[in-house]
Amino acid sequence: MKTFEEKWTAWIDGELSGAELAEFEAALPDRAAAEAEKGNAHKLGAFLKENMPARAMGNEEFFHHQLRQGIAADARTAAPEESAAARPAFWPIGRLVWVGATSLAIFCVCAFFVMREKAPTDQSQYLTQILNARVDPALGPNATISMFELKEDKVTVLWTEGLQSLPSEYATK
Amino acid sequence: MHTEATPAQADVSELDLVQKCQAGDTEAFDQLVSRYRTRVFGMIYNMVHNEQDAWDLAQDSFLKAWKSIGRFRGQSSFYTWMYRIVTNVTIDWLRKKQVKGSGAEFDDAIQMKDIDPASRTVPKADALPHQRMEQGEVRARIDEAIAQLSPEHRAVILMKEIEEMQYHEIAESLGCSIGTVMSRLFYARKKLQGLLRDLYENV
Repeated sequence: MKTFEEKWTAWIDGELSGAELAEFEAALPDRAAAEAEKGNAHKLGAFLKENMPARAMGNEEFFHHQLRQGIAADARTAAPEESAAARPAFWPIGRLVWVGATSLAIFCVCAFFVMREKAPTDQSQYLTQILNARVDPALGPNATISMFELKEDKVTVLWTEGLQSLPSEYATK
Repeated sequence: MHTEATPAQADVSELDLVQKCQAGDTEAFDQLVSRYRTRVFGMIYNMVHNEQDAWDLAQDSFLKAWKSIGRFRGQSSFYTWMYRIVTNVTIDWLRKKQVKGSGAEFDDAIQMKDIDPASRTVPKADALPHQRMEQGEVRARIDEAIAQLSPEHRAVILMKEIEEMQYHEIAESLGCSIGTVMSRLFYARKKLQGLLRDLYENV
């Protein structure tokens, strides 16, 4: 839906046609005054056109020279930015992943060798087990019981402390 | 719209030149500048009324065009696209100038009488001295009237009446609707009719 201003401008410039033109002209309260305004607007346009001739640009060669210099200066300032953008960041994600994976691999290899060397020598030939650590409190409130087993010789040592007497079920069979 | 292309330049199509520019060819851009510099300068001059400012703004406009020519997709003519840059640069400059409120707006109009008669910037070189003086006075009145319009209204009236651009071209250049262009044209004409009626009715 065009506003009155839009229709008026289109009418002045001869851009209205058909039903739209007929409708607009029929709606004008004073057709003669509107036509006079239209002529007035055309006079204004012609007056402006006549009295505002294309202004010649002075120093055309210098204009081009300055523009070329501006473009060259822009290229110079853009170049370091582009090279900076092309240069990877100090710790990009890819590099972090590779460094992490390599470190983990080195750690695993070292751990493997360290564990393999120490395991056979440092392991005690005795395997200590604490069996039935909770002794009946009626027999002794501070009683503890430990069992040491030497697997190679198939020997088991039962060590008890704090008991008044050995319970019958622990008696050697 | 007419261009300033010479027959030799016209052999190379505008699109070819634009594509070369997009590939970084500054010589092709030089040719585009040669084609449009006078129209661009004239348009800016009519908006700012100062030759040096118009010269600088034309430089800025072409430099911006060079920087953003990669984004030109050919959906409109190069000149319409260029005009959009020109009007943005000029309207921004006028707004800043209005905010600052510095300097006389009609520098050149005031100095019109001081221009060397042999200068190429005199509107009609073959006019007699008294005719030049009259033309200078008329031009000063026009510039003064146009200066009373908002930057957007200035752009619209100049594009329509001086550049003879179509509504859709003006709309594309200003980045607004055709309805807005027509509405701005209505108010700009009304204002100028009120300010210049005594001049153009006596012609």
